[in-house]
Amino acid sequence: MIAWTGRKTVEGVAYAADILFLGFLAFKELFSPARSGRGEASRIIVRQILFTGVDALPVVGALALMLGLIVIIQAGLALPQVGAGEFLAHIVVAALVRELGPLLTAFIVVWRSGTAMCTELGNMRVGQEIDAIEAMGISVVRFLVMPRMVGVIVALTCLTVYFDLVAIIGGFLVAKVTLTIPFLVYLEDIGRALSVTDVLITVVKSALFGLVIAVICCHHGLSVVGAVTEVPQQNARAMLNTVAACLVLDILVSVGFYVR
Amino acid sequence: MGTAAIELDRVMANEGVLAHVEEFSLTVHGGEAVALVGANRSGKGLALKLCAGLAAPASGSVRVLGVDPAAASDEEMLHLRRRVGFVFAKPALISSLSVYDNVAVPLRYHTELPESAIRERVMACLAECGVEVLHDHLPAGLTMGSARLVALARALVPDTELLCVDEALFGLDAGELVRFRGLLEKYRRDKGLTIVVSVNAPTSLFTLMDRLVLMRDGRLVAACPPAEASRVDDPMVQDFFGNN
Repeated sequence: MIAWTGRKTVEGVAYAADILFLGFLAFKELFSPARSGRGEASRIIVRQILFTGVDALPVVGALALMLGLIVIIQAGLALPQVGAGEFLAHIVVAALVRELGPLLTAFIVVWRSGTAMCTELGNMRVGQEIDAIEAMGISVVRFLVMPRMVGVIVALTCLTVYFDLVAIIGGFLVAKVTLTIPFLVYLEDIGRALSVTDVLITVVKSALFGLVIAVICCHHGLSVVGAVTEVPQQNARAMLNTVAACLVLDILVSVGFYVR
Repeated sequence: MGTAAIELDRVMANEGVLAHVEEFSLTVHGGEAVALVGANRSGKGLALKLCAGLAAPASGSVRVLGVDPAAASDEEMLHLRRRVGFVFAKPALISSLSVYDNVAVPLRYHTELPESAIRERVMACLAECGVEVLHDHLPAGLTMGSARLVALARALVPDTELLCVDEALFGLDAGELVRFRGLLEKYRRDKGLTIVVSVNAPTSLFTLMDRLVLMRDGRLVAACPPAEASRVDDPMVQDFFGNN
């Protein structure tokens, strides 16, 4: 048991070190003054933003609308019963903007784009495409990891803002059927409850989630050695580890900023 | 012959349990064309990777275009990679990019040429390889022969000094083999390209070669001009040329 715990701890530390190192290399490439490959990297960034961000708008919008509706209806009906009806906006900000918005958007991106990235890189490894890229003197991190990382960070941050807007406004408009609060009063309350810090922390969380999703999924895709059967295995590990990492990061950021 | 483009000196290397080379020494001069010849799992693929600086030896020394890959800095390795074209046995084209973009990648990555100049060079190279009509296709839709010709175009489009082709015959039909041979001949004559290929069966490509390097079980059996190869007194060589 002790040996098993020790072995797992060492593996976990080595895994975290690999992820951090890949993230460091990708950041280094992002700020590298070398001009080589910038055009190609830009093309991949744009493609990644389109796939991760624009293509996900309908599913994120639908989820945001339904979740916003649920939170607003539950809070809007329950709070007046305990004489706290004026706190609806605070509940909406705390639940949707601070926590559920960044986290659920990140999960959607993990399931859509994370799996796609991991599978694509894994298949590229199996098809010797990555060997060919290296043989051409092209940095795999610069050509494959860094553009995906930037694309996912940008797309996820924008998607989270979109999620929050749809959840707050769309959710209320639908919930209006059962609530009596006027829309403008609701918006004013939201404006008062929402601080600049809330917005900044949401953006910071989204950027961190984007970074973690891209780096972990790329790491697992590149970890495929040579068999096609490894691709779904690495995919499953990537999903599990990415979701866990996002949850841990969310807790750390929330505790760090909100717990006094 | 020019100065040595490749120098392998008593190299030992292995690639898992599948391939190994032992005490392998070979010098290929600039502008020379050499074929590594042997049965499957004779170590010629690994020897080819050593020649291109893509595999590291466990012992012995390797110099490719004057660079020792084991001691070279990242910058030197990058510069070396730009000068060496490698065609894998599988075409290894980037599956998400069109044929045109695949061939354009090394130019876009390593040069600051405007897109118009890149287009001109890429289309000219695709035309030489006879696959220009496929320029907007994705690799998944190509036959193996066409995909390998595209991979050849990708290897030749930068100013490559050394070309290594693994399993040169793999997937090529008779017409594609003629085109492939003609291309090697042209680049060698016009640009002084050094060529190393690996093959596992007798082929008309041998007439283009200065030397055949015959390999068995990771070891060099003989290195001689193609005309003399069939007379090498070795059972593997005799089997290979159908003399037994």
